[in-house]
Amino acid sequence: MINATRMALAALALGASSMTAMADGFTPENPECIAPANPGGGWDFTCRQVGKSLQDLGLLDKTMQVVNLAGGGGGVAFAEVVNKRGDDNDLIVAASSATATRLAQGAYPGNSMDQVRWLASIGADYGVIAVAADSDVTTLPQLLDNIKNDPTSTSVAGGSAVGGWDHLKVLIAANAYGIDDVRSVKYIAFDGGGEAVTQLLAGSVQAFTGDISEAKGFVDSGDIRVIAVLSPERLGGEFADMPTAKEQGVDAIGANWRGFYAPANMSDAAYDAWVGKISDLYASAEWKEIMAANGLAPLDLQGDAFQSFVSDSVAQIQSISKEIGIIK
Amino acid sequence: MSDRIFGIFGVLLAIGFAAAALTIEESFLSDAVGPKGFPLIIAVVLGLSSAVIALKPDPEPIWPALPRLVEVIAAIVVMILYAQLLPEIGFVFATAFAASYLSWRLGSAIIGAVLTGVGTSVGIYVIFHLVLGLSLARGPLGF
Amino acid sequence: METLANLGDGFLIALTWQNLLLALMGCFLGTVMGALPGLGPSNGVAILIPLAFTLGLGATPSLILLTSVYYGAMYGGRISSILLNIPGDEPAMMTCLDGHPMAKKGMAGEALSLSGIASFVGAFLATWGLIALAPQLVKIALLFGPAEYFALFALAFMTLGGVSSTNQAKSAFAAALGLGLAMIGVDTQTGVPRFTFGEVHLYDGLDFLVAIVGLFALSEVFIFLENRHGGSDATSGKLKIGRLTPPMSMIKETTPTMLRTSFLGFIAGVLPGAGASLGSFISYSMEKRLVDKDNTFGTGDPRGVAAPEAGNNAAAGGALVPMLALGVPGSGTTAVLLAVLLSLNITPGPLLFTQNPDVVWGLIAALFIANFMLLAMNIPMVGLFTRLLLIPPRVLMPIVAMVSFVGIYGISGSSFDLMVMIGFGIMGWVLRKLDVPLVPIILGTLLGNSMENNLRRAITIDNGNWWTLIDSPLSIALWAIALIGFVLPLIVGARVKARMHARRDEEGSIAD
Repeated sequence: MINATRMALAALALGASSMTAMADGFTPENPECIAPANPGGGWDFTCRQVGKSLQDLGLLDKTMQVVNLAGGGGGVAFAEVVNKRGDDNDLIVAASSATATRLAQGAYPGNSMDQVRWLASIGADYGVIAVAADSDVTTLPQLLDNIKNDPTSTSVAGGSAVGGWDHLKVLIAANAYGIDDVRSVKYIAFDGGGEAVTQLLAGSVQAFTGDISEAKGFVDSGDIRVIAVLSPERLGGEFADMPTAKEQGVDAIGANWRGFYAPANMSDAAYDAWVGKISDLYASAEWKEIMAANGLAPLDLQGDAFQSFVSDSVAQIQSISKEIGIIK
Repeated sequence: MSDRIFGIFGVLLAIGFAAAALTIEESFLSDAVGPKGFPLIIAVVLGLSSAVIALKPDPEPIWPALPRLVEVIAAIVVMILYAQLLPEIGFVFATAFAASYLSWRLGSAIIGAVLTGVGTSVGIYVIFHLVLGLSLARGPLGF
Repeated sequence: METLANLGDGFLIALTWQNLLLALMGCFLGTVMGALPGLGPSNGVAILIPLAFTLGLGATPSLILLTSVYYGAMYGGRISSILLNIPGDEPAMMTCLDGHPMAKKGMAGEALSLSGIASFVGAFLATWGLIALAPQLVKIALLFGPAEYFALFALAFMTLGGVSSTNQAKSAFAAALGLGLAMIGVDTQTGVPRFTFGEVHLYDGLDFLVAIVGLFALSEVFIFLENRHGGSDATSGKLKIGRLTPPMSMIKETTPTMLRTSFLGFIAGVLPGAGASLGSFISYSMEKRLVDKDNTFGTGDPRGVAAPEAGNNAAAGGALVPMLALGVPGSGTTAVLLAVLLSLNITPGPLLFTQNPDVVWGLIAALFIANFMLLAMNIPMVGLFTRLLLIPPRVLMPIVAMVSFVGIYGISGSSFDLMVMIGFGIMGWVLRKLDVPLVPIILGTLLGNSMENNLRRAITIDNGNWWTLIDSPLSIALWAIALIGFVLPLIVGARVKARMHARRDEEGSIAD
């Protein structure tokens, strides 16, 4: 019964989309998206959400199959694509800043970013630094002064491991503010941003570093206060009230982007077709709605532009990580 | 006797675990406890409980005679082969083979075993792949 | 009063033919997935997400479908625990301890229907708890900082002795082994790999599902292989099914147990990071401490079946509290549900109850509906389930083994995990021979990382001061309970042990 429904939907989509799909010159036969984690995580949702939207918009005439290949924080999937699926034209893989961070820190043993082709981004989630609503701290410089004067007084909670992206964001800010030994910043790693915010509310820690989407619900309810967004300029809409770090004199920017990579030996026709599909998706009104719903900010990069963006961000993370001594 | 050997093995395991814990490379950035602390606590508990097992053994368990042991080992080998061949020859064939073998060794007649194997394989394929949409290993024939 | 009016609105939303059909489908699929070893509730929900998307369902119908799967899987896990001694998912592990012995005594039907009723009671009370207290309950979650969580986990392990084995040293060994296995992988605090020996597959650690399926399901297959020619007494061949419904006296006897453990399980569920497994575990071990005067737990005591089932289903309901009110998942499954909510454009959090009342109350009404449906579906189906026992092992065991392999492979897509699972199977077989309990191993792998992380967080926050662990009234209370739970069995241990041996001799040769 389920399959009957799927078939019917696929047939509908096929009817609507045969025009666009033909125009690309390449049509994936069995489109497949590897989510390098177990079902339910951010990568998994990147795959599923994009797969669904591509089909809804008629950019794909078949359902994109989502394959979960967990392990090594994405390393198992990366190795699989490099070693075994190097010329697969139907395959794309979900990635994010976490992928770049791990590549930069050498956490995928023996692999580097140029072993795959980077396709396109689908949005970014800017970092925030927040405190509890009843905290005395009201600005970012104030928080960083506290840390400067007595690093043991302020615990900062985040959802990633030490050296992970949430941690790096606060270090980038501390670094920009002129704290010399950023290693003295007391960072407490939790299992995800939600848990970190909860401990901020519980009073176990004094500050929170994470993504804007993780903080949004608690900002709306008045439980926590964002003291800095790590974006180049103020975000639009309901986020417009949040001050950026930059306007407070701390030149720190941190965005968690989401996107895809593909096997290195994918044919150029296939690569261009995938880039085209994701660009069309990005340009659609439906995707704008999904971005707004998920607190994703614009980050519109495809093909070569995305390739060099990833390479820049890997280099940047590498230099920060070296500076603070996570890697040698 | 089994418990004494097991206890000694446990003590050795604890020592090995502690040794492996001590070689964990700490990064420059660390928390107050560090990545070694908790594993070392575990190694102590593991070692102590193993020592108690070795000093105060339970009654001897019944170990299988050699032919039965061979039976178990053969099954393990088949399972390992299954795990290795699954991505190569595809889900349906690999599973039919492994399930037939197990059924045969558990006492089915050959024909019954093959029927069980094929039935299991196709049944699982229908439920897991076609109904639930899980991606199973694809062989050269596409299933 | 307002609550009831809201609930009424919720029922208006939920009671459409489409939604009822979705709930029915979800309950059925959930039960099946819960019962299959290797596919637990969290994977079950994740697998069905594309279905919800493909059907183009709105927010409320999607949630109704997926929460029905969630509750269904919590019900389903017990079926394979009782009938095969293989837990269908991790919270159902404790149900093996008394459920399978009951089945061996020819009371499979009673065990199944009693556990169905206990599941219903737990889930039903938890749903009321969710309605009445969700906003206030958040405050309980906020009382738990890292130090308190560590004390809670320590309590779970310290009360472990004697739950599943006669030999305390072997329980401790198993727990330490499980904790040790949990240490494998990249340290989530500092990002350094531990015990991985350079193997990239081990970086994310061992999946506890792999451990469960290997230790329980594969070792069961090995035991059958070993015993085939060991005479005609291959145990399950001549299992009796017995009556299908429990006698009133049994329900009466277990009612206080169900009520107490529903409460305990619910609280465990409300704490993010504790979850349903801890709920069923604490329910069982506390209940054993409280009422097991004759030491019948572990030998097929109906209260030992009712306790974990009421506990884990209540915890499943409780876990929805932090997910809805804080946006913090209290278990793997709620993490998946949370992701679904986000993709449906709903941000759970403190404002969800005021901003999206239709979603919240529709969901709660759906929980009630799913719960009644599951009870109505499960009790008549007991007869059907018990037929499983009539399938000869030479057919059943290959199916169990293959389903285990597929469950693991379908989710992780890697042969490496299958090899690890076989390794666990061999280990499980040897440890069973040596009478080492398997439950503490699973608990160790399940809770090890949270336990360690909370210890390290607590101490880092307090700048290296270990006394911070007993710095709040709540953590002192938890430690006190843990100490009593640890010391008490040591004092009365000798007496109990003597009695256990006496009973063993009576019962003769039950292999495991």
